[in-house]
Amino acid sequence: MTVLAVSNLSKRYRRGGKPFAAVDDVSFEIGPAETLAVAGPSGSGKSTIARLVLRLLEPDAGRIQFEGADLLILSGAALRARRARLQMVFQDPLAAFNPRSTVARALDDPLRIHGIASRSERPRRIAALLERVGLDAGLAARAIHEISGGQRQRVAIARAIATRPSLIVLDEAVSALDVSVRGQILDLLLDLQRQERIAYLFISHDLGVIRALAHRIVLLEAGRVAESGDARTVIASPQSAVGKALVAATPRLNRIKTP
Amino acid sequence: MKRLHRFFQTPEAIAGALILALLVAIALAAPLLFPGDPQAIAGPALLPPLQNWSLPLGTDRLGRDVLAELFHGARTSLAVGLAAAAAALLVGAVVGTLAGFAGGLIDEVLMRITDAFQTVPSFLLALAFVSIVGPSLGVVIAAIALGAWTGPARVARAEVLSIRERDYVAGARVIGMHPLEIAFREVLPNALPPVLALSSVIVAAAILTEAALSFLGLGDPNRVTWGGMIAEGRTVLRTAPLLSIVPGIALVLTVLGVYLAGEGVVESTAVRRSLS
Ligand SMILES: Nc1ncnc2c1ncn2[C@@H]1O[C@H](COP(=O)(O)OP(=O)(O)OP(=O)(O)O)[C@@H](O)[C@H]1O
Ligand SMILES: [Mg+2]
Repeated sequence: MTVLAVSNLSKRYRRGGKPFAAVDDVSFEIGPAETLAVAGPSGSGKSTIARLVLRLLEPDAGRIQFEGADLLILSGAALRARRARLQMVFQDPLAAFNPRSTVARALDDPLRIHGIASRSERPRRIAALLERVGLDAGLAARAIHEISGGQRQRVAIARAIATRPSLIVLDEAVSALDVSVRGQILDLLLDLQRQERIAYLFISHDLGVIRALAHRIVLLEAGRVAESGDARTVIASPQSAVGKALVAATPRLNRIKTP
Repeated sequence: MKRLHRFFQTPEAIAGALILALLVAIALAAPLLFPGDPQAIAGPALLPPLQNWSLPLGTDRLGRDVLAELFHGARTSLAVGLAAAAAALLVGAVVGTLAGFAGGLIDEVLMRITDAFQTVPSFLLALAFVSIVGPSLGVVIAAIALGAWTGPARVARAEVLSIRERDYVAGARVIGMHPLEIAFREVLPNALPPVLALSSVIVAAAILTEAALSFLGLGDPNRVTWGGMIAEGRTVLRTAPLLSIVPGIALVLTVLGVYLAGEGVVESTAVRRSLS
């Protein structure tokens, strides 16, 4: 069974009056508890794919099957309810939260919206979520801008897992973090995947991180799939020009230990 | 605290704040100092100022206490100015947020309505509204707000258009939040600062519009207003010019105070923004 099956997905924009394809006939599948990496140079359409899969953007063509059902026919309340199972973590954890929010409110919202816990139960749930992502429950009362970038990204992950999703899309979720924090967040993601059997659509341009985390990889070039396959195989011997260029551009690849 | 400190750094802001404080004190003190009906006859008609210490500013054509009228007029001016501005800001913020956030047809319709209101001079709009519905405090407030909400609506819409592209709005959609909740709980509060920056100009304009309506006899007849006092005094302008001049000065000072204090607030927040 697959969690997510994307087929022939296309999204066109207009640039200087003439249309161009940001995502062009892209297909891939993700199984339960599997990590699929999407890599490619800047502007190759990675974020556009993330937004299409999350129904933040409407595709021009293609199909998206999520947990066996057509995601593209959903709208309104049915779509909002479905979103509990399909979550996202953004690149910049500061931009991803309402600047007026507190940690507690950021975590309270998904629990309230999806009726996961009663009002009186929610503070306990919030504390449990914070502890699950390795944070002190006392952080709940803090404003979002009063915690560090690494803590903020952990809160973003806690928010994403609050509704027990089967898939989390991570768009450059560790790129803005410094190296030591990045390692801890990757460990957390691996641990969550093992425990909760969450699948990841992991978008990154960092092949070192991808090799540490991903099972399979899709390489994009100008919106099209240039190459795909087992992550380590592709990174070890890329066949496409983009793949070779990305490997060449990642000098520390050979120094990163694989778990 | 820091912000307050910065606010009081320009002399204009201090002057504005002092005028406003005085005005508020006057408005609050009016029913205590002059508990009776300010429109009741208090002495001989057209008593000049500084003649009788129980009537320091004298009396008007009908023998009403001018000082009492002035104090009670401050209440009306402030109440109408603040209420009309609050209503205009509220309606403007809601309309602008809906238009900017929903986009498409809703945006198109709401902005055409805003255009329509903006092309009619706001004073004419207020005049027409009060003439049709009849003068009372609530109607005057609504009439003034009717011509004042378009500015806040445009500013709110522009701000919402930029905010709605932010990641946190996408994040709110991802967790399944209802679009109306996103618009009013996530987006609107963050779009408010530039909208609120308009408030001093709107309050000042509202006070002037109220005075103009009263001058034309379209104010609430049961309340003393400065505009009404000026109109009253006009009939005896040659013999007792102060009857028009005194409420006129009160009006000018009030508008000036509101404007200066408002500029001070905008300035101090702008400094804060450029510092951060
Ligand atoms: N709203 C839009 N209107 C027009 N063009 C867009 C829009 N959004 C994205 N694009 C274009 O689509 C292409 C793909 O953009 P996308 O953001 O998906 O790239 P990306 O792979 O995520 O790049 P990066 O690694 O820099 O984040 C780019 O050429 C971009 O300029
Ligand atoms: Mg991107």
